[in-house]
Amino acid sequence: MRAWRPWVLIAPALAVLGGLLLYPLYRVAWLSFQDFGLRELVTGETDWIGFANFGELLSEPLLWETVLPNTVVFAVVNVALTVTVGTLVALLLARLGPWTRGIATSAIMVAWAVPAVTGTYVWVFLFDARSGAVMRALGSLGLIDPETTNWFTERLPFFGIATLNVVHHGFPFVAITVLAGLMTLPEDVMEAAIVDGASAWQRFWLITVPLLKPIFAVVTILSTIWDFKVFTQIYLMPGGDGANRDVLNLGTWSYVSSFAQNRYGLGSAIAVMLTLVLLLITMFYLRVLFRQDEI
Amino acid sequence: MSNVVGSRTARGRVLTAVGVVAVLAFTLFPVFVMLSTAVDARANDGNRSLLPTQFTLANFAFVLDEGRFLTYLRNSLLVALATVVISGLIALFASVAVARFKFRFRTSVLVMILIVQMVPLEALVIPLFVQAKSLNLLDDLFGLVVVYVAFSLPFAIWTLRGFVAAVPFEIEEAAYMDGASWFQMFWRVLFPLVAPGLVATSVFSFITAWNEFIFAITFMSDQDKYTVAAGLRRFFTQYGTNWGAVMAGSTLITVPVMLFFVAVQRKLSAGLVAGAVKG
Repeated sequence: MRAWRPWVLIAPALAVLGGLLLYPLYRVAWLSFQDFGLRELVTGETDWIGFANFGELLSEPLLWETVLPNTVVFAVVNVALTVTVGTLVALLLARLGPWTRGIATSAIMVAWAVPAVTGTYVWVFLFDARSGAVMRALGSLGLIDPETTNWFTERLPFFGIATLNVVHHGFPFVAITVLAGLMTLPEDVMEAAIVDGASAWQRFWLITVPLLKPIFAVVTILSTIWDFKVFTQIYLMPGGDGANRDVLNLGTWSYVSSFAQNRYGLGSAIAVMLTLVLLLITMFYLRVLFRQDEI
Repeated sequence: MSNVVGSRTARGRVLTAVGVVAVLAFTLFPVFVMLSTAVDARANDGNRSLLPTQFTLANFAFVLDEGRFLTYLRNSLLVALATVVISGLIALFASVAVARFKFRFRTSVLVMILIVQMVPLEALVIPLFVQAKSLNLLDDLFGLVVVYVAFSLPFAIWTLRGFVAAVPFEIEEAAYMDGASWFQMFWRVLFPLVAPGLVATSVFSFITAWNEFIFAITFMSDQDKYTVAAGLRRFFTQYGTNWGAVMAGSTLITVPVMLFFVAVQRKLSAGLVAGAVKG
């Protein structure tokens, strides 16, 4: 094999990734040091202001009281729920016969396939103030007053609904991946544990979890990355597009600052923060991957 | 481990059955709500139940005609197919390079591919919007294609890599013995063997392009250039939401994706394990 051949093969991919992912990353970092508004967008002029955007950001109470908690707490809760639900479903699937498992897997695939946009609209429809089916059901049970309750205007219920949406959308990946791992577990180890009188709980924590540790690490870290940068599911909920500042997260705040308020520099600074957080998580992910085996 | 643990006792069987029902209900409930509202003549009636009282296709007719979904579906299809073809080709070449050749910086390239997967779209949309505006690529469907190719590439390369590596090297050598050049070997031997993997990654690229939302609403201001994900927003007006239309439109968006997913689920999970887990 001649030495240039792999480079010819990989050149188009490197060009696309470099031009559309790496270069924009450099540009967003550059923009975060600019006062970049409508005028700059039209004229192409630049106005370097150093760390002023970051200074404004870090001294903004909205960041510490609203946006960061909304991002971090939401991600932690959703990762925990997604991985737990996904693992439970995988354990359930593993004990089914081939026929029932096929049906259940197809249903899970259907949940996975629902696009974030349409899935979000369904949950919004169900929890719609006054006319939403869930709200009316809760109203008829006397739990809430459907005439005066709008869950989208309050922070906790808002993120509760978003959690339902994100877990529903995210658990299929965990379930399918963990199930694939469960299928590789040696059957004789499990049988031996049963003979030794280990309970299902003990078998899970003492055999399944240690053996599938790499798989659990991968699904947890990937879910963390996804749940930190969740955008569509928040943005499309009532008030999520910036109208209600109580429910902004890093992603929607960055977008709204840029495209609703035309403060592209400030929006870039927020995006840089989000990217740095994700980069840290990714570094951790890579260490886990490399510990498993060389790529 | 399946049957040993599971269905030994009657109580275990009942619990399993309850679990299956719960999983089916949770996974399928939103889809059921979407479909039943889409065909309900009283979809926008605040007091309706979740079961349609009066079957109608009027919501679909409205969405396709006045809702301009015929245009949006065509736009989305064009963008998605172009994304699939371009990213499939680029990813196939790149995956052969990283799976079949040992070269300097190979590991660095692989690590870079892993790292760019985490880049949040929110961070890319601002610089790419500024860039596309200065290049006059806003309101151009090709601008979306270029962006979606970039987004679908890392996953496609990473997954295809596993499929290429699984092809025994001896088969390649046999082709050379028969006098094939490298490119003949590539198209006649490697390509057909990797085709199943290409199907799985194509579905993923298609879905990336079909479902994408942030860029679709940011880059397109001309309503004739909307893709389906952006087009749905038209049914939310200041006078209220036309839920029948939203759900009919959602059905048109979701059903093709769903059929794809169920059709390739085997290859998909195999690819996930080969690509994401085994490293």
